[in-house]
Amino acid sequence: MESAISSILFYVFAVAAVLCAFGVVAFRNPVSSAMNMALCFGFTAAVYFGMGAQFLGIVQLIVYAGAILVLFLFIIMMLDVKAEEHARRSFPLACIAVIIAGIFAGFVTKVAISLPGATSGECPALVLCESIGDLAPGAVEQDTAAKNHTPYGAAMPELSPAAAAIELGADEATAAKATAFPDTKLLGKSLFTKYNIPFVILSFALLAGTVGAVALGRKLRKN
Amino acid sequence: MTPLAHYLIFSGILFSIGLAGVIIRKNIIVVFMCLEMMLSAANISLVAFSRAQGVNGIPVYDAQVLALFIVAIAAAEVAIGLALIVAMFRARKSVESSTLNTLKD
Repeated sequence: MESAISSILFYVFAVAAVLCAFGVVAFRNPVSSAMNMALCFGFTAAVYFGMGAQFLGIVQLIVYAGAILVLFLFIIMMLDVKAEEHARRSFPLACIAVIIAGIFAGFVTKVAISLPGATSGECPALVLCESIGDLAPGAVEQDTAAKNHTPYGAAMPELSPAAAAIELGADEATAAKATAFPDTKLLGKSLFTKYNIPFVILSFALLAGTVGAVALGRKLRKN
Repeated sequence: MTPLAHYLIFSGILFSIGLAGVIIRKNIIVVFMCLEMMLSAANISLVAFSRAQGVNGIPVYDAQVLALFIVAIAAAEVAIGLALIVAMFRARKSVESSTLNTLKD
């Protein structure tokens, strides 16, 4: 019952997000486009929540729908951009864009529904291992790892709070009582141990971005 | 639960709408918004793969960390991109991409 509801909610939010994305492209007024983009990001965050990635959902809301959107609206207001009054969008260009985007969407759909495990229920990695044989180094290891994976066509695996608690260092008895899935804890563990150095480098990228924005945005002196 | 393929199709549709927007729209600010939408669409497929590849009920968190990095880089990119748009507006008095034709003429 619960999974049926989450499944229905995914389709509702996905359709709403796609409609809002259409709105971003279709509206002539940039402010309407920005508002549609905020809604689109909100629905995307809802899809993240449905997938059990609560932390990324909140980050999506705070960073995209909060910070980035406000920056966009700020620039639109500051530059006092008018809506495109007359239809200057050329029809051939729109046709080309729709054809390219349609080809891309069709290609992605084709690939997604014809993933090796989608119909047979087999894992793609396993199929690959069997076709290569035991020539590749570490093929046995891949084979066992692949058997633990779910096939792509089947429903996604359920999250297991008990396994997550053991991963975080709890003993068996406490882990068995765990009810909520500690998404943020696990993400933080991965971020601050395995990916600690990239995380620090990322902060330099943000600093460079800030300095660059100030340098580009200042008034040029005429001399 | 919904199969992985549906998440991937959703992500692909969102990406292609963004792509169409980048090609169609003349207003640079809206083009930039569509670029952000494409980044966000790529994030959806990363998170979906992270969930689907999970072993023993724990998602693969490498993909989610990557998605987090993409969000942070997107924030830095927006700051620089909007500064460039402001600089362009100062130079051209317009945000239409059709006014950027110095090399063409």
